[in-house]
Order: sequence, then structure tokens, then C-alpha cells
Amino acid sequence: MSWETVIGLEVHAQLSTNTKLFSSASTKFGSEPNSQVDLVDLGLPGVLPVVNKDAFKKAIRFGLAIEADINQESTFDRKNYFYPDLPKGYQITQMTKPIVEGGSIDIDVDGDKKTINITRAHLEEDAGKSIHDAYPDKSVIDLNRAGTPLLEIVSEPEISSAKEAVSYMKALHQLVTFLDVCDGDMSQGSLRCDANVSIRKVGDAELGTRTEIKNINSFRFIEKAINFEIKRQIKVLESGEKVTQETRLYDSGKDETRPMRSKEFANDYRYFPDPDLLPVVISDDEMEEIRSTFPELPADKSRRYISEFQIDESEAEIISSSRELSNFFEVAVESKNDPKLAANLIVGEIGSLLNKDNIKIDESKLSSDNFNILLQRISDGTISKKIAKTILAEIWETGRNADEIINDQGLVQIQDENLLEEVITKVIESNTKQVEDYKNGKDKLFGFFVGQVMKETQGKANPQAVNDLLKKALNS
Amino acid sequence: MDNKTVETISYLARLKLDKDKKEKITKDLENIIDFVAELQDLNTEDIVPLSNPLEKVAPKREDIVTSKSRKEAFLSSSPESDQDYFMVPKVVE
Repeated sequence: MSWETVIGLEVHAQLSTNTKLFSSASTKFGSEPNSQVDLVDLGLPGVLPVVNKDAFKKAIRFGLAIEADINQESTFDRKNYFYPDLPKGYQITQMTKPIVEGGSIDIDVDGDKKTINITRAHLEEDAGKSIHDAYPDKSVIDLNRAGTPLLEIVSEPEISSAKEAVSYMKALHQLVTFLDVCDGDMSQGSLRCDANVSIRKVGDAELGTRTEIKNINSFRFIEKAINFEIKRQIKVLESGEKVTQETRLYDSGKDETRPMRSKEFANDYRYFPDPDLLPVVISDDEMEEIRSTFPELPADKSRRYISEFQIDESEAEIISSSRELSNFFEVAVESKNDPKLAANLIVGEIGSLLNKDNIKIDESKLSSDNFNILLQRISDGTISKKIAKTILAEIWETGRNADEIINDQGLVQIQDENLLEEVITKVIESNTKQVEDYKNGKDKLFGFFVGQVMKETQGKANPQAVNDLLKKALNS
Repeated sequence: MDNKTVETISYLARLKLDKDKKEKITKDLENIIDFVAELQDLNTEDIVPLSNPLEKVAPKREDIVTSKSRKEAFLSSSPESDQDYFMVPKVVE
């Protein structure tokens, strides 16, 4: 029998605000435990939550990017449950009137485009962190994270494989980081996902019973957890049994999902409007302000780079996919540098250095100013592109000024024709066999001679001058 | 309002009720539900749901950190803590 998979994802994106959703305590990651807690976060009697303007701005920016409807009036509800890391006994969320409704995200699966519709994206507060292994008979609680703003992005059940789920998650990751809505750091839990997975016979109209896999925090685990769950459900169904609707956890060590401790009673969150919070209204002026600061999106940027600067499509796509890289590229171009050269170096040499260190360009020692100097020195013929790579590697380690490196290490390109002719004569004299072959029609050997000259000059010879002079010498 | 519903609600609220209390609360809850049920007779078609009776909207706060750590005061006012954390009975999931 053939089965098809239906997946819907609920992604929690931690918004990159300075303060919490309802209090002015810091949201900084990795601080001393319980040092970023406010009276409001503790839920002490007599305190009132006040909404964070920036959290709304970021949620709306996301909504605009996916072409969703923005509810300029939205409300907050209480979701009631008891857990030690939830001090108030309820989580404030947007059940009835979320800030963002509808919209869609385009994903790419092995080169094919697919559109995943978004049900809603709503604001809610995060819980604190429970630590279970610090003491044998106690759990301990850190409330620094309690109250941190989250945007929960809920997709329609339109994802049909683990692979598609990963593509969707990657597209979302790129979008929220590009929009500066979320820092996207999955290892710190800034972007985590719950997957609703069900199986049905091909052609069935009704959805099968679903299970929910909680808190998956890496692209790799999303794929593995979903694939495990698909296989498990098919096995259950093919043995004639039924899938139980339940919440499961993915254990990456064992590569399996297993049910969370079954609850005596099904969850009943008893949602109701939070009486502490008035409806939040975003005025037309505020909407206009958010629209006016809306960044150019990667796809638009990429098209513009290609038409305006004639750079390669693949290079344009790579640069435009990252806010940091595109800023870096644009600064270089605004400083009247050759866009093709800049793009080439950013994607090639700089790209591989970034990958090696797994950092973003603004975390590296290469400043825009220094990159400008380097580009200018290539354009004005002081150094060759090959030498530029050596210089980049040095800047990467030390952050030193490109001109200083060029001067100190004597990397200035050799333009002096007399000097080059001397080297060429030497190369021709010591490779008489190759010269003979070349003269007998083995044109491909030309590259060999260029290589020899470059070797003799430690890569400092001006390539164009070498070409011209070599031709003259060999054809004489 | 049957016995089972009252038990479910008291469990969700983590309230332990003895037999007398349970009976009294069942009656109270029934009265409340009957009282509110009168509203069901009203025609609310074309009426926008009201989430708050005040005709005001929420003030918004700038995203600036003003709160300072009061870690020691908070930890020491909880039933049990060590120097960094609130301590609670072991929660196993």
C-alpha cells in the first residue's frame, strides 16, 4: 500500500529585541542565571505587563515579508497550565486575534519551487529554563528567558516530506535573519520547531491521526526526527493498529522519537482574554513607518545586482541571501569599486574563509575600508588577484591594513618590462624542450610558460604584461 | 455540572477538594453557569466580540532595558534556592 505524509510546522522564532515582551528586563543570552528577571516576569501580585513596541514592529515586518494580513488591532489571551518554569501559571499568547494571519513562503526542493501557506504568526512569551541534572532530587529554574518575545509561525499542513520540512525551515531561517527579526542561532534555541506529522493512504481526503514532535532545534534533527516518525507511523498502520494522538520527543542520541509521559488528563489550556492587557492597536502612521524601513528582500536584491552590476547569477544569489554579505558588497560598490571583482572575491576567497571559521563577515577582522583598499590595489594594477588572496589570508589572521601588508612583504606587482623580460628569457632558456614543442604547434604549452614566470616572480608579475611579453618572445 | 467535571477542573487548578467542599463547589458552579446562561438568549449576531470593556488601547513601551538584577532578593523570597537558581521538586518529563 502506498502512503503519503502530511506535515505542518510550528516554528518559534525568538525576536531579537533588547527587552522582554512585557517587561523591560534584558533578553541577552548567556547571562548569570536569574539576573534578567523583572517583577512582571515573576508574575508577582499587583504588577501589570506593558507591551514592547519593537516586538510588534518585528512581527509586522515578518508579516509584510510573507504578504500576510496584519491585524492592526490584536489581543492577548492566557493559556493556562502548571509547570515550574512558568511563574504565572499561564502563558500570555495571541489565540483569538493574532498580529499576522495568512501569507506564504516559497521553498526550493531539489530545484523545484513549492509554496507553503502560513496560517498565522502570533506573539507570545517564552517560559524559563528547567535544569534537571544539577541535583539528584531537585530541579532548578532559571527565569532569564521567561517573558522573551517569541513569534510562533504556524504553517498549513502542506509539507509532504522531511526534506520539504528542512527546506521550509531553511527558507524561514534565511528570511527572519535577513529581516533582523531573529538572530537565527539554533544552537541557542533562537529558532526551534514543533512538527505535526500524520500519514494517510494516497488519495484519502481526510487527514490521519497526527503526532507532535516537540522542540527540534537543528536542520539535521528535523529531517531525522520526521523520517523516523513517518516510518514508525506506517509500521503501526500496516500492522492494523491505530496511531495515538500524542506529543513525542526526539532523542538525537538514539535517533528515535518517543512519547512524552502520558498525561492523566488531556491538555486543557482554558484560554481566555488576558484582562491585564488592552487591545494593541497599530496606527496607520506606525504601519507606514514600518513599511518605509522595510528592507529589500533577497530575491529583489539578487535581480538588482544582476541587472545593475552584471554580476553572475549564482554570485548574486549567494551575496543577497545574507544581510551581512549584501551590506558588505554594497559598501564596496558604493565606494566606486568594480562590482564584478568585489562579488568574485566575496563569494570565492572570502566565502571560503567565512565557512572555514563559521562566522559572519562582520565578525571577521576584514573591515569594509580595508576591503576597499584591497580592491583598489587590484584595479590600479599594484597587485594581482592572485596576490590579493595571500593578502586576504593575512588580513583574516591579523586585521592589518592591506597597503601595509603589500609594502612590508614586497607584494607590489611587477610591471617593469625589463625585469619581466629578464625572467622570461630565463624561463625560455631553461625549458628548451617545451619551447621546441610549442613552436611545433603545441599551443597549450603557453599556459605552462605563464606558470613558470609566475613561479619565478612569486606570483607578483602582472598577468597581462606577462602574456604580451611571452608571446613576443616565443614567436620571435 | 457532574462530579467528574468538578474533579477535572479542580485537578487543572491543582486544588484538592474534600467531599463537603466538592458538593458545595458543585452547587456554586451550577449557580454561576445558570446565571451566565441567560446571556445565551441574547442575539449577538453582528456584534463584534469585546475583549476588554475599557474603551482604551494598550500603551506601548520603547525597547530599552531599565530593569536591574534583583537576583538575591528574588531567590531569597522563594521557598528554596541555591545561590543561582530557584529550586523545585524534581520534575521528570
